[in-house]
Amino acid sequence: MSEAEPVVVVENLTKCYGDLRAVDDVSFSIDRGRILGFIGPNGAGKTTAIKILVGLARPTSGRAFISGVNCVTDARRIKRLVGYMPDTFGRYSNMRVREYLDFFGAAFGISPKKRRKRIDAVLEITNATYMQDRYVDVLSHGMAQRVGIARTLLHDPEVLVFDEPANGLDPEARIEMRTLLLRLAELGKTLIVTSHILPELSRICDLVAIISNGKLRAFGTLPEIAEQIGQSRMIEIQLASSDQLVAARERVVPWLPEDSQVDISETESLLRFRANLSEEKMNQIIQDLVQASISISQFRELQTDLEDAFVTVAAEDSREVRDGEQSVHVE
Amino acid sequence: MLSNPIIQRELVGMLRTRRTLVIQILLVATFALLVILRWPSDPRVDLNGARSMQVFRLFGYGLLSAIILLVPAFPAASIVREKQQGTLALLLNTPMTAGQIYLGKLLGVLGFVMLVLMLSLPSAVACYAMGGISFQQGLLPLYLLLMLVALQYSSLGLLISSHATSTDSAMKLTYGAILVMAVVTLGPYLFLQGVTGEEVAGWLRSISPLPAVMEILGQRDLGGQGLEVIAGAHWKYVMLSVISTVVMSFLTLRRLNVRIFDETRAQGVMTHELKGSEWLWRNIVYMAGVTDPQRRRGEISRLFNPVMVKEFRCRRFGRLHWILRLVSGCLVFSCVLTIIGLNFVEGWGVERIGGILVILQVSLVVLLTPSITAGLISGERESGSWQLLQMTPMSAWKIVRGKLMSVVYTLLLLVMATLPAYVIMIYLNPDEMQKKVIEVLICLLVTVVFCISVSAAISSLVRTTAVATTVSFCVLVSLFAGTLLFWLGEGAPFGHNLVESVLRWNPMAAALAAMEMPGFTSYDLVPHNWYIIGSVSLVGFLILTFQTLRLTRPQ
Repeated sequence: MSEAEPVVVVENLTKCYGDLRAVDDVSFSIDRGRILGFIGPNGAGKTTAIKILVGLARPTSGRAFISGVNCVTDARRIKRLVGYMPDTFGRYSNMRVREYLDFFGAAFGISPKKRRKRIDAVLEITNATYMQDRYVDVLSHGMAQRVGIARTLLHDPEVLVFDEPANGLDPEARIEMRTLLLRLAELGKTLIVTSHILPELSRICDLVAIISNGKLRAFGTLPEIAEQIGQSRMIEIQLASSDQLVAARERVVPWLPEDSQVDISETESLLRFRANLSEEKMNQIIQDLVQASISISQFRELQTDLEDAFVTVAAEDSREVRDGEQSVHVE
Repeated sequence: MLSNPIIQRELVGMLRTRRTLVIQILLVATFALLVILRWPSDPRVDLNGARSMQVFRLFGYGLLSAIILLVPAFPAASIVREKQQGTLALLLNTPMTAGQIYLGKLLGVLGFVMLVLMLSLPSAVACYAMGGISFQQGLLPLYLLLMLVALQYSSLGLLISSHATSTDSAMKLTYGAILVMAVVTLGPYLFLQGVTGEEVAGWLRSISPLPAVMEILGQRDLGGQGLEVIAGAHWKYVMLSVISTVVMSFLTLRRLNVRIFDETRAQGVMTHELKGSEWLWRNIVYMAGVTDPQRRRGEISRLFNPVMVKEFRCRRFGRLHWILRLVSGCLVFSCVLTIIGLNFVEGWGVERIGGILVILQVSLVVLLTPSITAGLISGERESGSWQLLQMTPMSAWKIVRGKLMSVVYTLLLLVMATLPAYVIMIYLNPDEMQKKVIEVLICLLVTVVFCISVSAAISSLVRTTAVATTVSFCVLVSLFAGTLLFWLGEGAPFGHNLVESVLRWNPMAAALAAMEMPGFTSYDLVPHNWYIIGSVSLVGFLILTFQTLRLTRPQ
């Protein structure tokens, strides 16, 4: 397989549990060394999709490949290509960290001599060398997450899949986790990371996939995502004086859709609104304000973040559900 | 008192589970069946009430077994489960006192016991209606005693639960302690009658409720020899039971505060970090570091199944130093028992001593097997580590083999440690004992295989280790001890053929018959027992393999 080809390829993946479509016709691909943030509300189908990718679940239809190996038909080979860290750590009592890693190394068939070196290496990468003689069952959450990552690295897989790695971590541990994930990407690993802590994800991910109700709502870089989901732009207009705020609002409102809200902050002399406007309309708003002799000191668009994208998708979803319920009610 | 919210929650929580419903239905069905089967159909009147007494005895032992087997499972999990789920911290944070919390939990369990006893009342009344049973000297004392047993074992379960670190270990420790209190305490009295220490042994046996129940049911002194019968066993039991309940409740109450969370596990200093004399001393004590638990272990060799090594390492007593201690203990115990038996107990004969040895060995296997086997699969599923095993390239067969071998080696080591006693027996009577010992050894092997198969199959069928352990204990104890109830009732109410058919399901009875232990000489159990138990074990292993295959496959 050439370096240029995508490492992870998902084609029309669907998984049904009875009537429920947990994953619905999902397709995407990831290039080598990229970090994909896989986000979505609870029960959106993230874990199911991941389980299919790592060979723990079979899709109802569709295909998934990792480094050209079919995740469905060749699940045994997939295990050597993927390192998977589920959202539960999987503790073994009375075992020390080194013994824990040694067991999984042996389970992957790594020779004892190579295993020793490999354990030292993964402990080093994850900054966990100091805890190698501690019992696994008394590790703190942050320590356990690092040992969990060390375990996934033992057999040197090409793709790493982490389910909620930052869950329950304190801010310092989250920063450490972020650094660690970036280091793994630098080592040439391809990462798929699910998380609810979106600011963390947005800082490390090259790509984002938003899944909701089993459907892939958006996939790409963050600006691409904003475009795909038709996300509203947040505009801020700062005036020279707060006296003109009401007049400015009166000039702006006619340009916006009916249900748009325009907020005013007198202390900051600020006018803030969210709308999906074209560049041409933006220009017209500015011209209108200038013609009305309103002194504008700043006109800026706030950058879209992952949280906004997520909120937009979630809002769309709840609207869909509401509409669905209403139509059922009418029937 | 009834306004205590914990009583309501515990009791309602218990009654809501499907398990409780199944237990209740099974108990009612068993009691009803017992009465229906033995209800007089003969037109002649049984004036001395012997027939109703026979049914009443079986009924009494059945109730005692039900209480011993079923009741401890609930309190044993009660505190430790709340601790693990984090709800104990919430409870301790309410204005409720430790006493109210404890009382709520205890009365919740006793409420369930009351329900079980009430379910048995129609059958008890049927026995009473047959005549020959005194309400004041039979029925009432039996029920009061059973309540006391439930109270004592519930407070024991709560005490262990307050100290345990997992539901699973609480369950194992509680059942282990109950086995010791109810059965093992009877042992010394068998040996020490008529010699110094008889009185102490007599008090020791009073810890068990069995002699007290036998006395109430009008049966002979358990293990008594000669014509002398020790009376007042039930009063001794009442006294010891009340004292132990008070002490255990006090100890549990002392634990029920913030200190219960204020614990951490000592990591210990690794041996390679020690210096000078400390390092030298440790190496001497732990056989040049071979058995040292604080030594950093080497990598798992290619020659061993990694799952097997992991299983040994995960067990609290699975490390080499503990296994050696256990094996040595068994070795010394079996030899001492044989030497004492052969030298100091006149007229017992080799068969009786061999029989006692068999009972002890089987008890060891029945006690140990569920505690190390019931968590094999369920433990992995419960902790979430099953997914990690699934993600390795190991086949289902390799996982099963590793897990089973870890149990087989442990049990064989322990059973083999008790074998020198048989060597002594063969040495004393080579002509007769050789064949008997070989048959007994086969029975023991069958016992080990059967216990592993049943516990492992149950482990693969349920999700939590605590449930798997409880069910395994109940199934094994029912088979090994429950079938002996039929033996106790031979002649009346059960016929010889029925008892023999039932005993063919019990490998311990087969071993006792092979040893020609007095009381078992008239049964032809070998090799029928081997075929029956072998077939059941095969089914158990098939279930285990099928379930493991199913669980390792993608969903």
